[in-house]
Amino acid sequence: MIVKQIVEKALSRAQAVQAVMLTQETSSVDFENDRLKSAESSQRTQIDVKVIVDGKVGVSSTTDPQDVDGVVNRALEAAEFGSPAHFELPDAQSLDPVKIFDPALLPLEKPEMIRMGQQMMEMVKSYNPEILAGAAINKTIYKVEYANSRGAVYAADHTDFNVGAGGQLVRGTDILFASQSMGQKKRAVDTEEIAAQAIEYFRMAERIAPLESGEMPVIFTPRGFIALLLSLGLAVDGKSVHLGASPLRDKLGQQIASPSLTIVDDPFVEYGPRTGAFDNEGVARKVTPLVEKGVLRSFIYDLDTAGRAGTAPTGHGSNRSLTNLVISPGDIPYETMLRSTQSGLLVHEYLGLGQGNPINGEFSVNVFLGYKIENGELVGRVKDVMLAGNAFDALKDIVAISKEREWVSGPWVYFPGLMPYIKVGKLSVTAK
Amino acid sequence: MKQGMVHMRDQLSQALKMQDVEYADIRLEDKTNTWVNFRGPDLDAIGSGRTVGGIVRALYKGGWGYATFNDLSDLPRQVREACQTAKLVGTGTTYFSRVEPVVDVLKAQMVKDFRQVPLAEKKALVEEYNRIILGFHKNIQTSSVRYADSFKQIWFANSEGTYIEDEVPDVNLMTAAIAREGDIVQNGFETGGAIDGFQGVENFHDKARFAAQKAVELVKAPPVTGAKYTVVTDPILTGVFTHEAFGHLSESDFVYENPRMQEIMVLGKRFGVQNLNIIDDGTLPGGLGTHMYDNEGVPTRQNYLIKDGILVGRLHSRETAAKMKEQVSGNARSVHFQHPPIVRMTNTYIDQGTVAFEDMIKDIKLGVYAIKAIGGETAMEMFTFSAAYGYMIRDGQVAELVRDVVLTGNVFNTLMNIDQIGNDLGWEPNGPGGCGKNDQHPLRVGLGGPHIRIQNCVVGGQQ
Repeated sequence: MIVKQIVEKALSRAQAVQAVMLTQETSSVDFENDRLKSAESSQRTQIDVKVIVDGKVGVSSTTDPQDVDGVVNRALEAAEFGSPAHFELPDAQSLDPVKIFDPALLPLEKPEMIRMGQQMMEMVKSYNPEILAGAAINKTIYKVEYANSRGAVYAADHTDFNVGAGGQLVRGTDILFASQSMGQKKRAVDTEEIAAQAIEYFRMAERIAPLESGEMPVIFTPRGFIALLLSLGLAVDGKSVHLGASPLRDKLGQQIASPSLTIVDDPFVEYGPRTGAFDNEGVARKVTPLVEKGVLRSFIYDLDTAGRAGTAPTGHGSNRSLTNLVISPGDIPYETMLRSTQSGLLVHEYLGLGQGNPINGEFSVNVFLGYKIENGELVGRVKDVMLAGNAFDALKDIVAISKEREWVSGPWVYFPGLMPYIKVGKLSVTAK
Repeated sequence: MKQGMVHMRDQLSQALKMQDVEYADIRLEDKTNTWVNFRGPDLDAIGSGRTVGGIVRALYKGGWGYATFNDLSDLPRQVREACQTAKLVGTGTTYFSRVEPVVDVLKAQMVKDFRQVPLAEKKALVEEYNRIILGFHKNIQTSSVRYADSFKQIWFANSEGTYIEDEVPDVNLMTAAIAREGDIVQNGFETGGAIDGFQGVENFHDKARFAAQKAVELVKAPPVTGAKYTVVTDPILTGVFTHEAFGHLSESDFVYENPRMQEIMVLGKRFGVQNLNIIDDGTLPGGLGTHMYDNEGVPTRQNYLIKDGILVGRLHSRETAAKMKEQVSGNARSVHFQHPPIVRMTNTYIDQGTVAFEDMIKDIKLGVYAIKAIGGETAMEMFTFSAAYGYMIRDGQVAELVRDVVLTGNVFNTLMNIDQIGNDLGWEPNGPGGCGKNDQHPLRVGLGGPHIRIQNCVVGGQQ
């Protein structure tokens, strides 16, 4: 194993060392503007090395497996000027079993992926031939290997499968995009369901509904909940907490959201998009309850930040990335939630999310795909509408959570997870 | 890779002999980079990396096959793989503009080569800026100061005989201050850097101080009230607006296979006032998006997109130009070897007008002066971009500082609503960010323009 070679090599001058190697092969097909446009074969290698020399940390990376000496030397050089290590590398741990590899994906070749894409595109076209349809399918087989100087050695074989379909519809100067995608670690996927969902977003947008500015109830679709989730996800980052930049820094154990909201970070979901047994620092992953009945339960920490903050790492890697977010279902059907809304907005996608001051909770986003609710019905798509508010205030103002949940995943998703529809009592909407 | 360099041209042309399609090219890249990041009082990360890899593109009956790889040991195999893939895809007609083959070897010119600057010196400089921010005021909660440099060598060859060696240096810096009072947390930031050496990040002390001051002031500033205003944008925000609201629409890959979009973007159509000129220029000396050739080996050039308010041109790759029967423009760019080039902007700006800033604001009763940009995003007709901060304009005067200034609108209305164009011209400085399109981010682009005035612009925010 190259990672073990690197550890041995670096140990001649470093007191501690870890190496992580990624080896990956991807096949993908891409449909644009009603036609198969391209297909790709991709091979990737990435090696990351971290050393501790005289209590100081140095890192380096390379894409060249022949460059073992170079990557070790550059990490050692960086360590001369590095930051003091506030941690020790973890010992070998026993890892929980995870389902991350589906052998059924191995024989899947490009011609079959092309057939799947064509089928989804034809469905979209048969709903409305005016739509310029697209689809993308991507299969990745990869291996992650980890070794450190305390004897921890892990290897994991993963499969990833991403499928998406959608299109754009131009009417006059009105341009509408809608799509649906999903990402998971197994092959079994319902392409008809994906195309049907994309079609549903077009169907709901057939009419354009004028909207008046004001405060109104807002229902977030499972995908649309990112507008609030983004701030929460950034604010539970242990580094922001430690540096005092997180507004949640002193709120552990306190009520920060409606008692109906429970969010768990679960790295063990079978074939989940971010499922895995260990992180890139050799820390065993575990289930982390973030919010329980509205009470803030934990922050997430990498090794170094945990060391600085005097707490334990949570297995979210050196970048402190959340894994699969699972939000507990509520007690009413989505249909009832919608029917009980006199006038309001259903929001699904945004432009400009994350541009403002997201960690502070404040957001002000263009509603890229959203629908007006009138007398409990979706009456059309809204245009030129901004949704603004404070995510932390909105989390306290959650008035309903649906029984139904959907997987939000796929290549563009920042925080994938299993999410319900969530209704907030009142938010500010500016319409042109 | 180093020993192979002398024979690179031979290696690439040998590998390309394996191609059995209508067109093929290879692009190899070798990038070394270093980074130094402080967050708060602590050094957060210091290190260096090397990334080597390549892409082969093959074109067959209108379909593309790509092979991307880190392992350069068997280029002929990668060419065969891309060709086989293209044959799975292509069933139609190939559109691909003819261009003259080019052979050229370009060398980067740097005033102070950052590869010769010891890591210790880079760290010491970044630490100085960080200390300025942290010591600026009691309300400074923390900081984020990030330095990054990279030096990329590129080798490009195609089946038509083009062979280009290029070098792309980049050094950039971000100094950000985070201030807090009670539950209000605000950022102030300044970015800098250069494409011609380390001197571009030196002497940044005043800028770091300014970032800290802005964060401290913004904590006390109220959020802007959401409404329609007359908005004046500073040159940097003008650049972001031009790029987001209009520039992306002029990228022909959105248009070339889309008859409806072609109706909207028909050349000769009026898009703005008489004195509105929008230009994309990949040859601009010192521009962040400047290159001699794009990533298809096509020479860059100056492209007028809007002249005297009329749509006169658009940006092309060889494929989109052929399909639309227009000239190539040198705008096929790729963020790195894991991606094929797609149609992108280079340096995009609104050309200088005639109006002085004072004259622009003197008859505004209530408006917003929006300054610098945190970011922007577009979906063809709809766009949104966030100013770093703004000032209210009251009775013709610049008044109080406001935060959370997000502008949104419809490009077709908004371009028509630009009624005054300033007599100045400025460019966004280098920084860690760049343009993102599809999954290619961040691509270095130049953004600029004068102060401009936009009537009836929606500013988001709570009411």
